[in-house]
Amino acid sequence: MRSRGAFERYLNRSGWIFVAPAVALFAVFMAYPILSSLYLVTRKWKGLTDSFIGLGNFVRMFKDSLFWDSLGHNFILMVVQVPVMIALSLLFAVILHHGVRKFRGAFRLILFLPAITSLVAYSILFRILLQTNGLANNIMLDAGLLTQPIAWLNDPFWANVTIMVALTWRWTGYNMIFFLVGLQNIDPEIYEAAEVDGAPKVMQFFRITLPLLLPVILFSLVTSTSGMLQLFDEPNILTNQGGPANATMTAALYIYRQAFVLSSDFGYATSMSYVIVLLAGVLAIIQIRVLGGRNK
Amino acid sequence: MSQVRAPFSLPRILLYVFLLAVCLISIFPFFWMALGMTLNPNEVVKGTLIPGDQFLQNWDKANNNYNLPLFFANSLIIAVVTVVVGVTVNAMAAYGFEKFQSRAREWVFGVLLLTLIMPQIAVILPLFRLIAAMQLLDTYAAIILPFTMSAFVIFFLRQNFQMFPKEIMEAARVDGAGEMQIFWGMAIPSMKAGIASAAILMFISQWNSYLWPLITILSDKTKTLPLAMQSMMSAYTVEYGGLMVIVTVSLIPVLVVFLAMQKQFVAGLVGSIK
Repeated sequence: MRSRGAFERYLNRSGWIFVAPAVALFAVFMAYPILSSLYLVTRKWKGLTDSFIGLGNFVRMFKDSLFWDSLGHNFILMVVQVPVMIALSLLFAVILHHGVRKFRGAFRLILFLPAITSLVAYSILFRILLQTNGLANNIMLDAGLLTQPIAWLNDPFWANVTIMVALTWRWTGYNMIFFLVGLQNIDPEIYEAAEVDGAPKVMQFFRITLPLLLPVILFSLVTSTSGMLQLFDEPNILTNQGGPANATMTAALYIYRQAFVLSSDFGYATSMSYVIVLLAGVLAIIQIRVLGGRNK
Repeated sequence: MSQVRAPFSLPRILLYVFLLAVCLISIFPFFWMALGMTLNPNEVVKGTLIPGDQFLQNWDKANNNYNLPLFFANSLIIAVVTVVVGVTVNAMAAYGFEKFQSRAREWVFGVLLLTLIMPQIAVILPLFRLIAAMQLLDTYAAIILPFTMSAFVIFFLRQNFQMFPKEIMEAARVDGAGEMQIFWGMAIPSMKAGIASAAILMFISQWNSYLWPLITILSDKTKTLPLAMQSMMSAYTVEYGGLMVIVTVSLIPVLVVFLAMQKQFVAGLVGSIK
């Protein structure tokens, strides 16, 4: 018979064998690159050669108004689009859960459908739909909603609206699923008790549904915000490389262009990406607080 | 007589009308995309609701001028290999972390989870330099290898493995079974739903992946569908009909997986939220 100590060692060794492949891949393709970025941020590239620059990249970053403008675009998109989308997701979830019984499954399926499309595919579809001489304008002109076509993609203001509309189309159904799961977890007896007490539906929503869904809402809020912080595909494809005239340039797109399109200054690009890491870290702390509070 | 609720009250009808309108917006781009496959470029942009007769020409352009079969094959090979390698590696790790708990491994698990918050753009810059130094640019390996290990999938599967009773493992050990035999023969078969969700999640994220292939793929021979669509879209004269064919074809595998396995699909996408 094996001794207790030998068996423990056997279990410990087995554990390491199971996690080894993943840990090895992690070390090579995640840990090493992240650590090596500490070296990259101290280098300046000129063509293919690089030299030590110390904190020079960060000094340059603070003076780079286009970078801060780009980050500003992220925030504007975030502040306007995320609340609208979450309100819509919540509305659809409440309607599907409380309002309708017939065809509920079909409605849920159709509303979720946009969430399966690739960001590239839907960005392309919206870019074609929203051309100035395109279908969206034509429909609204024919219906008398517009007297002249809107330059969705060529006007700085409308280009931002375009991105928000597209994002809302893509993600509302996705967030709705979270809210539907949350609604299913609310005990129906609470509503029955409120009914008996004669509480109107609107009051039930604000007094019961909203507070009980708050953790899920906060979760959606944080994940959406974090997604907005990293927005890349839409401004690159839908509004054609952050156009018009950088009006929809986002931080991730600007960093990508510094590293791979305009120049190949990896040091500078990596330094700017640290700002996004920092902001993502702040969001994560909020997220842990929120979800941590939920589990108590 | 018991009271029967009126089946067609006015608010209820308005609710259905509202939902139908929202569903119409939700589904319209798909409908218009499918229609676009039958139209000439001009009609795609201006829009018409009547199917045209250009489908064969567009199909032909997508296949011959734009090499749809090659790009489809590239996307499929990359996604399938990522799923097979990724699910194996991540399921093993999830099982190792959950069923052989130790302080050191919990610490490693914590470090893995920490990387979940790393924005993609920050990892990709140094990763690109690594892949270039390894001389892997423009290969399948460059697109597959860095995205096989997924902290999220490990986390997701670990939660699933909690259901697998330790007593079964102990009984199997007494019968002389090796740890790999227990894992592959008993643990994995009991976790089909979780594995399916993980596989779907990994398939979709790799199938739709854009930023990383955009910087590591340099030639047509490894090009994936999202990149093919993007380069068609940025051409001087856009071949809209052929583009619609490629966009539609690129959505079909995801749509099929979604419709066939809705439950696992949503579980995978939404993750472990309860």
